[in-house]
Amino acid sequence: MSQLEIKDLHISIGEKAIVKGLNLTIKQGEVHAIMGPNGTGKSTLAKAIAGHPDYAITSGDVLLDGNSILAMEVDERARAGLFLAFQYPSEIPGVSIANFLRAAVQARMADGEELDATGYYKRLYSKMDMLKIDRKFTSRAVNDGFSGGEKKRCEILQMAMLEPKFSIMDETDSGLDIDALRIVADGVNALRTGPLGIMLITHYQRLLDYIVPDFVHVMHDGRIVKSGDKSLALELEAKGYDWVKQEYAAKA
Amino acid sequence: MSVSSPTATVGSFTREVFDAHLARVAHLPAWWLDRKRAAYERFTTSPMPKRTDEGWRFSNFQSLSLDGYQLPPAVTLDDVHHTELGVKGAGTLVFANQRVAASEALSADLQKAGVIFDTLQNALLNHGEIVREHLLTQPSKLDSAKFAALHEAFLEDGAFIYVPKGVEVALPLGVFHYICGEGAALFPHTLIVADENSKVTVADFQRSTRTTDKQFICGGNDLFVSHGAQLTYIAMQDWSREALSVQFNANIARRDARVLSVNLHAGARQARHESFSQLQAPGAHSEMLALTIAHGTQEFDQRTLQIHQAPNTSSNLLYKNALLDQSKTIFSGLIVVDPDAQKTDAYQSNRNLMLSEEAESHSLPGLEIQANDVRCSHGATSARIPAEQEFYLQSRGIAKAQADELIVFGFFEEVLGKIENQELHDSLTELIRQKFKDAEPVIQA
Amino acid sequence: MKPLTEVESAATENPVAGIDQTKGDFRYDVTYAFDAGTGLNEDTVRYISSVKKEAPWILEFRLKALKTFFAKPMPTHWATKDLENIDFAKIRYYLSQGQTPKRTWDEVPDDIKKTFERLGIPEQERKFLAGVEAQFDSEAAYSNIKEIVAKQGVIFCNSTEGLREHPEIFKKFFGKVIPTGDNKFSALNSAVFSGGSFIYVPPGVKVAQPLQAYFRINAENFGQFERTLIIADEGSEVVYMEGCTAPKFSTSTLHSAVVELVALKGAKIQYITVQNWANNVFNLVTKRGVAHEDAEIKWIDCNIGSRLTMKYPGVVLKGEGARGEVISIALANDGQHQDTGAKMVHAANNTTSNIIAKSISVGQGRSTYRGVVHLPKHLKGCKNNTECDALLINTNSRTDTYPAISVRGDRNATQHEASVSKVSEDMIFYMQQRGLSEAQAMSLAVNGFINDLARQFPMEYSVELKRLIDLEMEGSVG
Repeated sequence: MSQLEIKDLHISIGEKAIVKGLNLTIKQGEVHAIMGPNGTGKSTLAKAIAGHPDYAITSGDVLLDGNSILAMEVDERARAGLFLAFQYPSEIPGVSIANFLRAAVQARMADGEELDATGYYKRLYSKMDMLKIDRKFTSRAVNDGFSGGEKKRCEILQMAMLEPKFSIMDETDSGLDIDALRIVADGVNALRTGPLGIMLITHYQRLLDYIVPDFVHVMHDGRIVKSGDKSLALELEAKGYDWVKQEYAAKA
Repeated sequence: MSVSSPTATVGSFTREVFDAHLARVAHLPAWWLDRKRAAYERFTTSPMPKRTDEGWRFSNFQSLSLDGYQLPPAVTLDDVHHTELGVKGAGTLVFANQRVAASEALSADLQKAGVIFDTLQNALLNHGEIVREHLLTQPSKLDSAKFAALHEAFLEDGAFIYVPKGVEVALPLGVFHYICGEGAALFPHTLIVADENSKVTVADFQRSTRTTDKQFICGGNDLFVSHGAQLTYIAMQDWSREALSVQFNANIARRDARVLSVNLHAGARQARHESFSQLQAPGAHSEMLALTIAHGTQEFDQRTLQIHQAPNTSSNLLYKNALLDQSKTIFSGLIVVDPDAQKTDAYQSNRNLMLSEEAESHSLPGLEIQANDVRCSHGATSARIPAEQEFYLQSRGIAKAQADELIVFGFFEEVLGKIENQELHDSLTELIRQKFKDAEPVIQA
Repeated sequence: MKPLTEVESAATENPVAGIDQTKGDFRYDVTYAFDAGTGLNEDTVRYISSVKKEAPWILEFRLKALKTFFAKPMPTHWATKDLENIDFAKIRYYLSQGQTPKRTWDEVPDDIKKTFERLGIPEQERKFLAGVEAQFDSEAAYSNIKEIVAKQGVIFCNSTEGLREHPEIFKKFFGKVIPTGDNKFSALNSAVFSGGSFIYVPPGVKVAQPLQAYFRINAENFGQFERTLIIADEGSEVVYMEGCTAPKFSTSTLHSAVVELVALKGAKIQYITVQNWANNVFNLVTKRGVAHEDAEIKWIDCNIGSRLTMKYPGVVLKGEGARGEVISIALANDGQHQDTGAKMVHAANNTTSNIIAKSISVGQGRSTYRGVVHLPKHLKGCKNNTECDALLINTNSRTDTYPAISVRGDRNATQHEASVSKVSEDMIFYMQQRGLSEAQAMSLAVNGFINDLARQFPMEYSVELKRLIDLEMEGSVG
């Protein structure tokens, strides 16, 4: 079984240390929720694992099935099975979703292997139906002029099409109303039945009503300071983050 | 190619005239006189602009003659009918035919703080080094090297403003340049040096005493805005309707400096105005605004250059022209982004409001970009009053003529609104509106 | 200079020289029967005219143009100084195997045929074209029009034939849209022109499939000077496409065409160019059309490759209600300068023009937009819209924009917008996160940038364009 291991990870932006020794192991089929107040390094963790050039990993390691991914380019990590659902997905004017995903699917195939166009579209349409995305969207440019909900659904569509081993979902619930949240959650729940491990980054408990996590971790000051099951999320909802912060301060 | 004879190239500004001028300023420092002599040589040897010069594309050459002018005699304040603006200011300098005719000194506090507001001649004598470092030291990059040389050769006096480090002059300083007499030639200049973290507003009024005199004005100003300093420079040009005017505005903005220059053009028969802004260090910002009311057969020829020489600099240019009768405007602007000037944010816009069937506008908005991480854009439009705006106002019960006037004044306000000093804003707005009404009592349908 | 009588036997088979990734960069050796030699003088012009067996008025026209060419200065007061590097004395002005193009590919000499086969021209012809002309250096080697189109009265041949067979139509329009003295290079073309297409579409005839010309430069130190004249008679419609390639030589090659279009009342002409000259080609082309009442001329101009391209397709909107459009895409890579743009001259009421220009500068490439829009004062109801967008890929890429818009009177309206941007790092990261390499991501972003324009191309051409852009983007990152 595949696993994603994060070992004593330290991440800096410029001179500033953001993540300060984070450990986490995610196995395929598991959903780990990472919760925590703003500014604790949740998004930094997501982008650094994906290989964003602005984030420097100063020590520690990230292993996919036992192999370090830190020397790999962004696209190599993606092709190795790592998917990042962005908090703020980029707009790509002029490039249609169909063509974009096609290029991404083709990039995962061996040299000289040709994509079967009919099969591709069949698969694309079935995933779109699942996510209640209008077929007209295939010819629209990626995220260009999309509403917040449309962007998030487009992220899940890409995740469904690219079949990653591990997906890091960064604040996927932000900016969604309840209906949109439900659609996105249904999509994720449909995918989690397969061999997929998910790291669900969120600020609010609300999302976890729909995507029920196997584990909940609380991040504070660049570290995981508390772990538990889904009841931890409810406790946080009731008591707020200050409770964790105080507990952490007391320990330190 | 024909080579013009020396007399054809100098027009009225012969060596005898120059020598006479030099004799009048013989008391000034030798380095300055040397520079003037060198400038005169450059003037005599450089050719007049030609039709094929890119920097003079669309310009009128028929009336670009240097003949028929003389250096005017001294006149009094009464001769020029000087009127105050009714704006509370920090000081005033009034020049009539390039000699100081009146002044209102700075407050004792400002003088004590080291602010200098004096004539250029006095500054040459008392603050020679600052003047030497800043006066006419910028290259002429807009194809008027001959006129720039002429200006330097015959520059007799002008305004000098120096604001020391950290000093803020709250109220505006007023400079008036009057020209008086048929055939008069004037070479006005305003030099402003705003030292680090200082702040000052200067209003420069340029007027002829009569609207019918044939005159020649070849003027310039140099604006230096040091680290963190803020300068607002407003020029209101209202020369005689028979004047030929060639003016240069050069400004330099250093680290985190902000310079706002507002040029309001109403006068002259043919007015060429060049504005050259250099953003030399990160954080520098230059705002270049102009508003022109062109009527009769007036020609306004505006050439601008925004040069971004350092990263993280920004500039914003907005030139608006309202064209009546058979008037003509030319706007030729260029944004240059040097290879190192990443993260430049530069904008340039020319809007022509066509208010007559016979007016003529030419827009040449240009970009030369050598850095890739920039935001640069330009736009140019030429159109009449939008029918839908007119209709909207009419549907609210406003008569058409009134509606048009409102829309035109609204068009002006986008530029005038940038003048922060309320009194100055109101007084200039009134002047502009009056010019517009005098030019065209009833806007054409 | 070769004596006129000498015709050499079939050329010997030569191995392929210098193939690389680029589709057009290969060369087979060819022996020429006609060669005007190196350098330009009156004798060169006389030689060209005599091998073409031209009427005396054409020779007169050429000789007069030659004088104009010599008299005109290089336009370096506004254009790049690189023009001064053209050595007119070192260029060969006429090379051909004969003046009559073949009607079937089988008749085309092997050494020329294999070039066009390799470029895929016969295949494209079968697939989707109404007619093809294939020019090899100075003359068309092949020219054919589908019978069904010819039966409608459509004339499609090269300019040499056009002058010979249809002087009554040719002479009436020739040199009228672009006078000899329009610029130095139109004068040069007028002196030494050879090849190019002549098209006449009779009233009301709508040519369903495009007509295509392919221009191939094969010889080193050569100048290609085709002359194209297209006349669409009242209410007719035609789409013309041209492509071109040349192998990479170390010395410079000159391509200087003149293209004149005439769209009579209610006619529509669409002229599509996909140019991919090698890096040593000076591509200095004058293109202009006259649109009469309610007529429409649309230039779709795509410039990739060449050392320096200077090309500003224009439309003179001569009749009321005429429409003119220029859609321009330029990609400048290392060592390339794309100096392109558009010219719109409004000469009648209620005429409209539209210019959309997009450029991409890669590496040390430089792209320049120049435009002229002219709305004179006696007109009303005229409109122009211009949009210029530039994309800069690398830190040392360069772009310039120099439009000139003249508006007279208050009854016309223009608007011009231009912007410069780069491909954002976030966008590239996003695409890389989906598994695309940086180069693929960049290529996709660039294709997206021009996508709204590329969609206006016929399918085959937009596919070709995308492929060319992908090729250019390889190696532009990292």
